[in-house]
This record gives sequence, structure tokens and C-alpha cells, in this order.
Amino acid sequence: MYQTKGNFIRPEMKISSLIFENPSLLLLMEHLEMDFIVHEKTVKQLCATNNISEELFLIFANLYNGFQPTEHQNLTREDLTTIIKFLKNSHNYYENEKYPEIRSYFEQLHEQNNSAEIQLIEKFFDEYFKEVKEHLHYENRVAFPYFYRLLKNEPSGNTEKQEKYSVSEYQEHHTDIEFKLNDLKELLLKHVPVKNDRVLRRKIITSLCELENDLNIHSTIEETILIPLVSKIEHDE
Amino acid sequence: MMNREIKNIAVLEPSQIVFEGLSNVLSKSGQQFHLLRTDDLNEIQNLAALGKLELAIINPSQIQNKNKEFLSAKKNHPGIVWIALIYNFFDQQLLSLFDKVINITDSGESIAEQIKNLSNSEIHNNDVEHEQLSEREIDVLKLIVKGFSNKEVADNLNISIHTVISHRKNISQKTGIKSQSGLTIYAISNKIILIEDFAK
Repeated sequence: MYQTKGNFIRPEMKISSLIFENPSLLLLMEHLEMDFIVHEKTVKQLCATNNISEELFLIFANLYNGFQPTEHQNLTREDLTTIIKFLKNSHNYYENEKYPEIRSYFEQLHEQNNSAEIQLIEKFFDEYFKEVKEHLHYENRVAFPYFYRLLKNEPSGNTEKQEKYSVSEYQEHHTDIEFKLNDLKELLLKHVPVKNDRVLRRKIITSLCELENDLNIHSTIEETILIPLVSKIEHDE
Repeated sequence: MMNREIKNIAVLEPSQIVFEGLSNVLSKSGQQFHLLRTDDLNEIQNLAALGKLELAIINPSQIQNKNKEFLSAKKNHPGIVWIALIYNFFDQQLLSLFDKVINITDSGESIAEQIKNLSNSEIHNNDVEHEQLSEREIDVLKLIVKGFSNKEVADNLNISIHTVISHRKNISQKTGIKSQSGLTIYAISNKIILIEDFAK
């Protein structure tokens, strides 16, 4: 389970203690493809071994501990590669782990409580999931290739084949996804009547909260770290 | 979204112990605050220029003999509430420059409460108790879940589109649910419509 109020992480802290305090840091490390055997390493040492910039890791890790990034970031082109790696891996986590997990809870729920509301809420979840997938695919298809081209200094793909990446489209998707996830939580917790489904409902609500937390971090990274960094790189050219 | 509710506070206080204590007291208040420790008034102005600051908590000794500078900071950033945090005697004239004076010997709860009340009123809107829907709102909800557009709802109930939109806003605020499919499930769960009606 994640924590939203951890310590403010500094370079000299031991990563193992930080993980015990907030295990969702493991998810961060997984998204960054870092080793889990951390021995007695400090954050600084961990970043050095994994060749990840300390500044970027601290921003991400503190976000997982509930601290919003400040506006003054000194990130570089190399960091952009790491950020994209993180985002791609987290897409994979949503699509191939978190959503199937929640989906399977719904299937089990369905067996225990076959009321009309549950059927509708299952349908609602599927529609929601479909929308999320479309958004993830949009990012994989349009946004990430655009960033890669930018990194390689290729001209900003104005050829007709390439769909143009747009910040506003990006943000519109995010808002919609947040609303529906919130609706699901509200309905399951406040309105849809319970019928022998307490355990499953707890699992679903917990998973939805975990997912929401990770999605929040995901969009914060895109909106307050990635997009400003991309504009900076675009501007420098 | 929960993370977006965080309120930023700039703190100008030379004592680390006082700063940490304040931060601790506020973390228990139920409202999420993000405290930014600053070294001088300039730094607060820089943060304010970024547009995300709501409160500034200042030890008045830090602006002594800098009245002019302080007044211009206040003038430049009228959206910020300026609070003096005092633990010794200060001249009344100096304290009168602030919007509010908080004494460090107050209890932790009372300090947190005072600061909570001073931060943007928007928090209170989100905290509104979810009330029952009014009869008119239920009429509107019934039509929304049938898939009626705002214009169709307006024609049906003989009200203006503007009124429909305002009803919709209230419905979402009261129920906490924004999407149409979500509202449908809400209406069925609360027996506002029957599932048979919906299936039609």
C-alpha cells in the first residue's frame, strides 16, 4: 500500500529504510528499471550505480512521498530519456497489470453479486478502461516518438504522416480519465448496495486508489516535468 | 484530485525548531499544506511571482526596518494572506502591517485552525456536505440518464439551458459524480429510476 506522507527524501538517506516507509517506491524503481537488491546503499549511491541523475530521482521519489515538484528544475536531455522510460514502463504496468487485476476482481464480484448495478458498473469500468487504453496508445504512438525525434535533433516531424502531438489534447484526456476513476470510487463506496461482496469490494476500492495515486503521479510528471522540459529543449534549438 | 488540494505556504522564520514545529502542527490539521522555507522577503516575492502561493508566515523580526519593502511586497501580491508568527514582544505598529497575528503560545490545534481558515475559501466549497438532491434536480437527473441533451432537458422541463447547466453542476457537486454513466448508476442505486426504465 502506498503512503502519501513520507519523509522528504535527501541524497544521503538509505534507500532500504525509505522503501520500508513507503513500499510504492519499489514501483518507481521498477518503472526506472533499477535493481531491487539495494544493500545498504544511499539514494546517491543507488542513482550512481544505476546511472540515473540524482536530481531526477529525488523529484520522482519525493513525488511518491507526497511532495510536489518545485518549479526550478535543472534537468537535461539525458533526463528526458529516463522520463520517457519511466512513462513507458508505467503504461505497461497499467495496461498489463493493474487493469487486468481490477478486471478480475469485477469478474469475481459479478459471481457474488449479480445485481443490475454491479453489471452496469462493470460496463462502466470497461468503457473507462477502453478510454485509458486509447490515451496510453496515443502517447505511445504520437507523444513519445515526437520526444525521441526531438532528442535526436530531427526536425519536428511536420510530414503529413505523423500526427501532430498536442499538449492540450494530452491534458483533456487526463481530466476525463480522472473524473471517471473518481466516479467509480464514489459509487462503490457510497451508493451501490453491498451483497456479500465486502472482501472483493475492499480489494477493488484499494486497487482503484493505488491506481489513482500512480496515475496522479504520472500526470504530474507529464504536466510539470516533461512538458516544461520538452519546451525548454525545443526552445534551445 | 487530492494532490491538487495542497496549499503552498512560504515561511520566513530563522529558527529551524519553530519551522519544524509549525510544519508538524499543520500536518495534523487535515488540510494538506506545503511549507516552503525562505531566507528573506525577496524569496517570498519570487515564489509569489510563480502564482501558487496562498499564505506567507513571517517572523516580524525579519522585516524590522524593512517596512517599505514589506508594504510593496503586499501591494504587489494582493492575493496572499500575510501572517505574523510571534514569540516575543513586537511594536504594535509593526504588527499592524500584517493581515493576522498568530501567537506561538497558542495551542497547536488553534494555530492550525486559524491558518486553515485563512487559506483560500475554495477548500470549504469542496468540503460541502453532500446534501439531498432537490426535486427539480431529480427531474433533471432523470432526463440526463435517459441521454437527453441540455437543450432537450430544457425544453422538456420548460426551463432555460442556463438553468439546466446550473442544475447539472449542483448534481455533480452533491453526488460527487461527474460522468453520465456514473450518474446513471447513482440514480439506479438510489432508486431514482428503475433499472427496467433504463433498459428501455
